[in-house]
Amino acid sequence: MTKAVIVNSDGETLSALMGPTGAEHRRLANRVMTDALTQADLTFDEISYVVATGYGRINVPFADRQITELTCHAKGIASLFPGVRTAIDIGGQDAKGLKIKNDKLVDFVMNDRCAAGTGRFLDVLVGTLGLKIDELGEISLKATQKLPISSVCTVFAQMEIMACLSQGTPLPDIVAGLHDAIANRVVKMVKKLKIEPDVVFTGGVAKNIGVVNALQDCLGFKVSVPSEPLLTGALGAALMGRELTLKAIAEGKPIHEKERRLAESTFFHTEKH
Amino acid sequence: MKMALIMGMDIGSGTSKSVIVRDGKPIAYHLLPSGVDYRAVAQQLRKESLAKTGLSAADIADTMATGQGAENVPFSGHQASDILCCARGITSILPSVRTIIDVQRTFTQVIRLNATGHVINFVINEKCATGSGCFLDIISHVLQIDLKDAGPLSLGSDNPVVFTTGCAVFGESEAISRVSEGASREDILAGVHAALASKIATLIDRVGLEMDCAMSGGGALNVGLVKSVEKKLGFKLLVPEQPQFINAIGAALMAESEA
Repeated sequence: MTKAVIVNSDGETLSALMGPTGAEHRRLANRVMTDALTQADLTFDEISYVVATGYGRINVPFADRQITELTCHAKGIASLFPGVRTAIDIGGQDAKGLKIKNDKLVDFVMNDRCAAGTGRFLDVLVGTLGLKIDELGEISLKATQKLPISSVCTVFAQMEIMACLSQGTPLPDIVAGLHDAIANRVVKMVKKLKIEPDVVFTGGVAKNIGVVNALQDCLGFKVSVPSEPLLTGALGAALMGRELTLKAIAEGKPIHEKERRLAESTFFHTEKH
Repeated sequence: MKMALIMGMDIGSGTSKSVIVRDGKPIAYHLLPSGVDYRAVAQQLRKESLAKTGLSAADIADTMATGQGAENVPFSGHQASDILCCARGITSILPSVRTIIDVQRTFTQVIRLNATGHVINFVINEKCATGSGCFLDIISHVLQIDLKDAGPLSLGSDNPVVFTTGCAVFGESEAISRVSEGASREDILAGVHAALASKIATLIDRVGLEMDCAMSGGGALNVGLVKSVEKKLGFKLLVPEQPQFINAIGAALMAESEA
């Protein structure tokens, strides 16, 4: 997904939304930006500074600056939860643990090499179960006995749950077992950072109440989830942009280090190329 | 027992194979997709295999089963591990082999043999599907090609894609991204073969290499994978004629020597 957040000079959010990231980041980044401008009733010229983050950050042709997603996540999360010390982010492509002190990222761990312990694990297995991804949380709450999943690997887990389905294991028990598997895997990784509360859980998987519960069981304490757990990175990017703009103004320097590459018209026309 | 017919059955996670052996020599081969019901496929495999050879169930003196679904073969007296069956099958055809790379759909195993053909060590990709045939299955599906075309197609590659992950699941999304960036099917397949080859090389490192080295299992039917592993290891592999039937042959031979 590509997300866009627009903040004003006071750091208040004017617009926050997301759209799909296709294989061509460049084209869709434009589309999401356009939607965000419409939502905030702004034109592109009214935007002082654009910060791009995430895997496709170099593919945003209209960005003034690129900043890594880890820095942006930490910034966004700390702005919503000032007491945060550890953030756990589980997305479709990876899982990350962030150690945050005084609103700044001080250390991190990450898995983007293996689908286990990421949202992809659930994406793949939800198909095997014939369910939809946003049903999983509710279904898992009906479990009477969590199915222990012995395989770490997504492919092996798929075979394992197919065998369980044919033996008649109830769906809620399987789903709850999958949630435990993902929580255990991620906590094991994030423990390398020495997990300290407050813990904030973000990323698409944080929308799944079953994984939130499993994570809390695994950690032994409560975690906080933002109301828009997918948008913390974009929020952080916007807040970094705000700081850069205010700093430039205070120092009497030009806001843009380089000429903004795209005028409004060509910006919208790049879609057609 | 001189002229007795023995059936070996290898009920795998992808395909099920049967071999009928007479006097230590395979006389008939049959293969079916396993599907989800191992018991049903075992019965169907026996029925079709007998029909093909004009034999009846009564002609088969013994049946030995191996593979993931071995326990589900209702008419088999006994089961043997696929490691032992693979060793036995290879030794009967290629007696000089001391290291076997058995590339199956879900598992890839490397087996070390001594001079008498006994298993002295083995290693399996037990933790994850990296390095097994399912990576190739998944990518063939993405590229909408038949698995049997993957090998020959990959030989036409001049710029193999470098996969950043060995994970079959992430590999799928990586392949989709490369396709959208304009990478050719040939280059993607060659990249998959290289990724599998490097995982296979680590398995060999764990178990130790002794020549000669053979590849068996369905993966050995893939000429691109064989070439890629040869390139990675720096030497030629021996590949038996019917590599996917090696474990079934081994199972039959084990039953024959027990009789």
